[in-house]
Amino acid sequence: MCNEHQKIEEFFRRNIEQVKNPIISSFLADAKNLYLVQNAILYPTDCNMKMVDETFQSHYIRVRKIKYVSSLIYYFSLDFDKKRRRLQNRYLLIVDNGISGSDSAGEDERIEEGLLDTIENEELFKALRKLTDKQLQILEMIYVKDSPIKVIAESLQTTPQNISNLHRKALNKLHHMLRKEVN
Amino acid sequence: MENNYNEEALMIIENFTPKIKQCLHQTSYQEREDLEQEIKLKIIEKLAKQEFNDTPSFWDFFI
Repeated sequence: MCNEHQKIEEFFRRNIEQVKNPIISSFLADAKNLYLVQNAILYPTDCNMKMVDETFQSHYIRVRKIKYVSSLIYYFSLDFDKKRRRLQNRYLLIVDNGISGSDSAGEDERIEEGLLDTIENEELFKALRKLTDKQLQILEMIYVKDSPIKVIAESLQTTPQNISNLHRKALNKLHHMLRKEVN
Repeated sequence: MENNYNEEALMIIENFTPKIKQCLHQTSYQEREDLEQEIKLKIIEKLAKQEFNDTPSFWDFFI
């Protein structure tokens, strides 16, 4: 018995480095496995060795599977999000793109031309030219582009009330000027 | 054998559920359910396909 103990201890001492190996130490942590190994050390028959090998291999496969699945989950979720974001960037929804500053400015200019171009009445054209730029811009946005007051206020970075006021003032001014012309 | 695979995959998925849930934070809120399903599908696929056969012998580690 004492001799057996010595034999086992001697074996482990000789292979201290290998026993520290995580896969080996986790295998030996199970009492059943340890017993099998001790048995094989004492009686190194083919059968005993084979039994250890078989249990060790199933242990090894299990550990590898766990490791594999663990990293699979991690990297798969990373890739999934990357893929999703790439698709999202590639196929932008048009409604996602709000009116950006530069865009609306370009459109305003085009519409401005549009409004003055569409006026055929000379008096009205002259009267319109006398309005301030801002008033003209607001009239264009309201009558040519048909935008709601709220949207105009946002694009000019002011309040809807202010837009309404400027709109009314512009109309009054036009009214006065055209009255004078007629008189 | 087939049944064995399925049971094993089921057990692994069950054991890994907390880890899966944790990894769902990688993506946006709307996509999480999709991702969870995709991960589980992938695990089942991979476990069925992947070979884990090249295991070393226990005695290879010792002199």
